[in-house]
Amino acid sequence: MSLAEVHEVEVLDERLPSGLWREVWRRLRRNPGAIIGATFVAGFVIVAIFAPLLAPYSPNEQNLSLLVNGCCPGPSWSHPMGVDELGRDELSRVMYGARYSLVIGVVAVTVGLSLGMLIGAIAGGFAGLTDSVAMRGMDIMLAIPGFLLALGIVSLMGPGLFPVMIAVGIANVPIFARLFRGTILGQRDSDYALAARSVGVRRRKILTGHIIPNSISPVIVAGTLAMATAIIDVAGLGFLGLGPQDPATPEWGTMLTNANLYVSTAPFLALFPGLAIVIIVLGFNLIGDGLREALDPKLRGRV
Amino acid sequence: MARFVVRRLLLLVPILLGLSILLFVWVRALPGSTAQALLGERTTPGAVDRFNRQYGLDRPITTQYWAYLKTTVRGDLGTSVASRRPVTTEIRERFPATVELAVAAMIFALVIGLPLGFFAAKRYGEFFDHSSLFLSLIGVSIPVFFLPIILKYIFSVRLGWLPSIGRQDVLIDAEHPTGFYVLDGIITGNWNAAWDASKHLLLPAIALGSIPLAIIARVTRASTLDVQNEDYVRTAKAKGLAPSAIDRRHVLRNALLPVTTIIGLQVGILLGGAVLTETVFAIPGMGSWLKEAIFNQDYPALQGGILFLAFVFVLVNLLVDISYGLINPQIRVS
Repeated sequence: MSLAEVHEVEVLDERLPSGLWREVWRRLRRNPGAIIGATFVAGFVIVAIFAPLLAPYSPNEQNLSLLVNGCCPGPSWSHPMGVDELGRDELSRVMYGARYSLVIGVVAVTVGLSLGMLIGAIAGGFAGLTDSVAMRGMDIMLAIPGFLLALGIVSLMGPGLFPVMIAVGIANVPIFARLFRGTILGQRDSDYALAARSVGVRRRKILTGHIIPNSISPVIVAGTLAMATAIIDVAGLGFLGLGPQDPATPEWGTMLTNANLYVSTAPFLALFPGLAIVIIVLGFNLIGDGLREALDPKLRGRV
Repeated sequence: MARFVVRRLLLLVPILLGLSILLFVWVRALPGSTAQALLGERTTPGAVDRFNRQYGLDRPITTQYWAYLKTTVRGDLGTSVASRRPVTTEIRERFPATVELAVAAMIFALVIGLPLGFFAAKRYGEFFDHSSLFLSLIGVSIPVFFLPIILKYIFSVRLGWLPSIGRQDVLIDAEHPTGFYVLDGIITGNWNAAWDASKHLLLPAIALGSIPLAIIARVTRASTLDVQNEDYVRTAKAKGLAPSAIDRRHVLRNALLPVTTIIGLQVGILLGGAVLTETVFAIPGMGSWLKEAIFNQDYPALQGGILFLAFVFVLVNLLVDISYGLINPQIRVS
């Protein structure tokens, strides 16, 4: 579990005296998959934070003398992941790349989650015309395959790291909006909402005070899984050359574009950034699955 | 059933209208004037004027939208800035490559994913189950642009078994009446060409199909587990039906229902992923074309291409819904 989520869980724990989140935390700790996922993610967070201390070289330090025998020297004791086509240490670049990937995931998911939850809450909270208009709008966005939608948005804003994160976030909006609206509608008909209504609590207060806090758990699961797909999608856009335009940026997707050109002579240049993506994405997927099971034990081993 | 189909078809209209509005607004939100965006950077003031008059860009925005809608419905998606050819011509030439790739990827995903999920459920909690779960987790975690690089290195560079780029060897003399190269080889009786096109297709299809495979396996497993505990399965067991007959007639048939519903969504993943897979394997399909369009700032191509692919995606989902209605008696009745 990433630091952000531990924090999230604790905050919710204070708000909900029911102890739901304590129970979830207990179940998560017993789930080997979630533990492995949390270890992967924690490892990456540590590498990302301490990259300047951990990396043996600067990510942009070029040592062209290493390339005298052609591109590119493979893994060795001084360069455990080899050296890239500009004589830069691959390990250091992969380590610095962790910073980009984590920021990318957090920003993209935050954009998608906040806009999506806002639209979903408005649609679910105020039924009728507002709901129809908002949801038809989401349907239209969903009609464009997600990656293509992100491509379209990037072409509006021009290439770069920031546009790519925003684009992937916006492409996620309809998914969160539909999910949040669905759970809100489910909660709205629940007994406790009826009870609140019958004692005369105002509609807005029921929505913000009761329904939304109880609708949050599926969104947390979806948000964790969305971290995984956001990191993949942003790396994909980076791979197409739409990511950071400065080739010195050690973003994993962009690194793979260059590595693809040298794949026959230096496959390790593609292998290490690629594996880094797989491991962190796997980590978020494992945590997401674990959270889903912990929140709904009926699903245990099912999905 | 007819009413169900008609209702679904009618629901399509607002979606397609909305899509057209979205893409109309998108072009107008592009930097620079609309005429400039659609004619390209190296256009002349005269051409801009002519274009503005032709498409009514000097008139109110609602009139403009109406004009755009009319031309689009007529099947005119504009002219590509990069190639100066109609966007529809470009799509006609490139779409078969993407369809071929997507179909091959889907076949791969179903052929491996369905049995994987089904037998994992049959061996619930055993080693096979755990490894198939792990495999599908890896499947959704591997980027569709990383897997092909690895596959290319192993099977093309190292082993030399399979070609690494393109759709067919340039030295092969083949006719292409349909544009689906494997099919073309078969119908023209050119087995050599069909075999070569299949070999070119194999690695991209595996790479693109990895995510749908993982998702199909997971859904199949989950729905098989659900169905196995149903009363009718217990009844079938109690009356002494052979296990293979139970699986075939009762379990599989019902377990596959939820799987059909997700196949439509997978097509979206395939169409999006095609951009990346086609780029890695240098396949001249819709995906690599859209990627080039972004770099050339070829907005008519992007507008038309995205509209077309979204239309295909929506249509496939409609077909999936209708066929789900056909195979699921519960929906047919209601």
